[in-house]
Amino acid sequence: MRTSPAGYLITLAGVALVALVTHAALPHLGLASAALLFLLPVLAASVRFGTGPALVAAAGGALAFNFLLLPPRFTFRIDGFDHIVSVAVFLAVALVTSRLAAELRAREAEANARAAAHAEQAEFAALLSGDTPDVLTRALAWIAARYGAARLIARDALPSEDSALSSLDLSAAGWALQGAEAAGHGSDTMPASGWSFLPFAPGHPGGSGLVAVARPMSGTTRRAEEMTQLQALARLIGQARDRLALADERQSRERLEDRDALRRTLLAAMAHDFRTPLTVLAGEVAALDGDPAAKDRTLAQVHRLGAMMDDLVGAARIEGGALDPQIEAVDLIDCIDAACDRLASALAAHQVERTLPADLPLVAADPVLLTHILVNLIGNAARHARARIAISASPEDGSIQLHVDDDGAGIADDLQDRLFDRFARGAGSDRDGGSGLGLAIVKGFADAMALTVGAGAAPGGGARFTLALPLRQVTIA
Amino acid sequence: MTRVLVVDDEAAILRLVSAVLERGGFTAVPAATARAALAEFERAVPDAAIVDLGLPDMDGVELVAALRQRMSGPLIVLTARDATGDKIAALDLGADDYVTKPFDGDELLARLRAALRRAGRAIAADGVLRHGPLEIDPARHELRLDGRQVTLTPREFLVMEVLIAAGGRLVIHADLLRRVWGPSHVGDSDYLRVVVRALRLKLEADPSAPTLIRNEPGIGYRLGEV
Repeated sequence: MRTSPAGYLITLAGVALVALVTHAALPHLGLASAALLFLLPVLAASVRFGTGPALVAAAGGALAFNFLLLPPRFTFRIDGFDHIVSVAVFLAVALVTSRLAAELRAREAEANARAAAHAEQAEFAALLSGDTPDVLTRALAWIAARYGAARLIARDALPSEDSALSSLDLSAAGWALQGAEAAGHGSDTMPASGWSFLPFAPGHPGGSGLVAVARPMSGTTRRAEEMTQLQALARLIGQARDRLALADERQSRERLEDRDALRRTLLAAMAHDFRTPLTVLAGEVAALDGDPAAKDRTLAQVHRLGAMMDDLVGAARIEGGALDPQIEAVDLIDCIDAACDRLASALAAHQVERTLPADLPLVAADPVLLTHILVNLIGNAARHARARIAISASPEDGSIQLHVDDDGAGIADDLQDRLFDRFARGAGSDRDGGSGLGLAIVKGFADAMALTVGAGAAPGGGARFTLALPLRQVTIA
Repeated sequence: MTRVLVVDDEAAILRLVSAVLERGGFTAVPAATARAALAEFERAVPDAAIVDLGLPDMDGVELVAALRQRMSGPLIVLTARDATGDKIAALDLGADDYVTKPFDGDELLARLRAALRRAGRAIAADGVLRHGPLEIDPARHELRLDGRQVTLTPREFLVMEVLIAAGGRLVIHADLLRRVWGPSHVGDSDYLRVVVRALRLKLEADPSAPTLIRNEPGIGYRLGEV
């Protein structure tokens, strides 16, 4: 650091003052003490102004001591060996003192600079800790006010055409991202660039971006300490950016979850609202006098409406991703039983055959979803069967193949491909069939449990639906 | 006359269930809110209750728990088909049975009569529990089917003991597991499947179409009606 001329003047004034005092007080002081007094300005100058003024104080002190105090006084002549030694020792002591003091001073200045840098980083970190979306913009403005125009460059958004960045700047930016160390102005790499490029995560190639800071307006070169400080600030910005991205992600996930919860609540409310009038309808019809056969037909229709409601809710659950299969060991017999119970009125006119081996292994599935699948498959069979429905299961290479067969017209070729689509229906007689959602729900629920479902021809004609279920090994305590 | 409390916030359902009950020879006591239901209990404890789980002023499952503390008679809940969690919670807190909407009156009456029958069942003086063709003698560790003794493993015997003691009432999986395997196994419904499969092979005329041990998928087991 250069010392201002004032430093030298004040130093010389100090030396002159000591010279005056010692000159006046020589009779009471003695030569040795007087020489010591001349060390004071040297010490003061080296601490206050640095090496240059200290040297001046040392030289000035030596001259003044010689001229004013050493006999013969008021000449620069030195008589006698002991006086030569006095001046030499004085000079040596003054030089060493000034060097030590100057070093101390440099160290103190360095500590001050470090403290200032840390304070600045702390202030910057506090600025970045905000949660508002404009935090990064404010941080860049903060850097711009102190160091020069600043901007963020994301790894995946390295501008190719930009009026502010030349091709040299862009290659420096690319290099900084690749090498994960500072590049451009103020660094060792492409220092001719108009910007300093400081990666978010120095030393970690593959970081997400960098901060670019324009070279100082004054035209001077950015010093190493400033680069270090900017690098620290860039690192803070990178951390803040990661944190903000994480918070963003969490927020959008929460929004999604809220929407799912709302959807589920709406579904439950809707289902409740539909089932109440259906229940009342069923009750009122049952209480009517009149033809019991007509009553039963009406009740069957009401129950079909209820089943359609179940399908609608099921379809909405699939759509809304609200299925959460609880896979456990399931006895297929239980689910077939429950499905047949629920379909009792629809199955009354049919012969239902079960061919299930007594040692049928347990399968892995969600019992409630599997039962709903079976209700739909067996209900579908009941609508298309002429007289007979056959439910059979057999173990086959590590899984259970469950078949639901009917003796109806079978699956039309044109329907085969879109059988499990929503609202796919056979032509003609099965117009009065289900909701049009039944098989789509079978597919959706099966997918949710990672089961495969297929359709084809039954051995005796008619349609066959097949569900492949994985075995569940149970070790019992 | 048997007094049956009906709790539902839908006036139409309340009217319908009341009509069904009157037709079945019961006295219906309607209540539109949980508060009204609890107030009715202060006046006179009914012989049975039919409770909708979707009430405006109180969670239906909580009301079930509150009513169960105040009465010993049958408690039947009305619920949606897909509300499996609600059904299990209500059964766990003391409901005897559930009926899903839409239901018809005869089904509701049948469930109510069965529950009342179970509630009025006296335990035989010899300590032997009976359900249809089944007889179980816990003291001698014996189970008989149509008078013929059947050899069971200890777990199988315990499961049957719980089910026969429930007398046709639905016993949720967790409850069975807790009482047979202990509280640390309430989630291991896999165990039940294995034991029930073995029991069906020993007890059912056609194990692929069981009539004695019935399962409600995802909810629990009950013995078939006799």
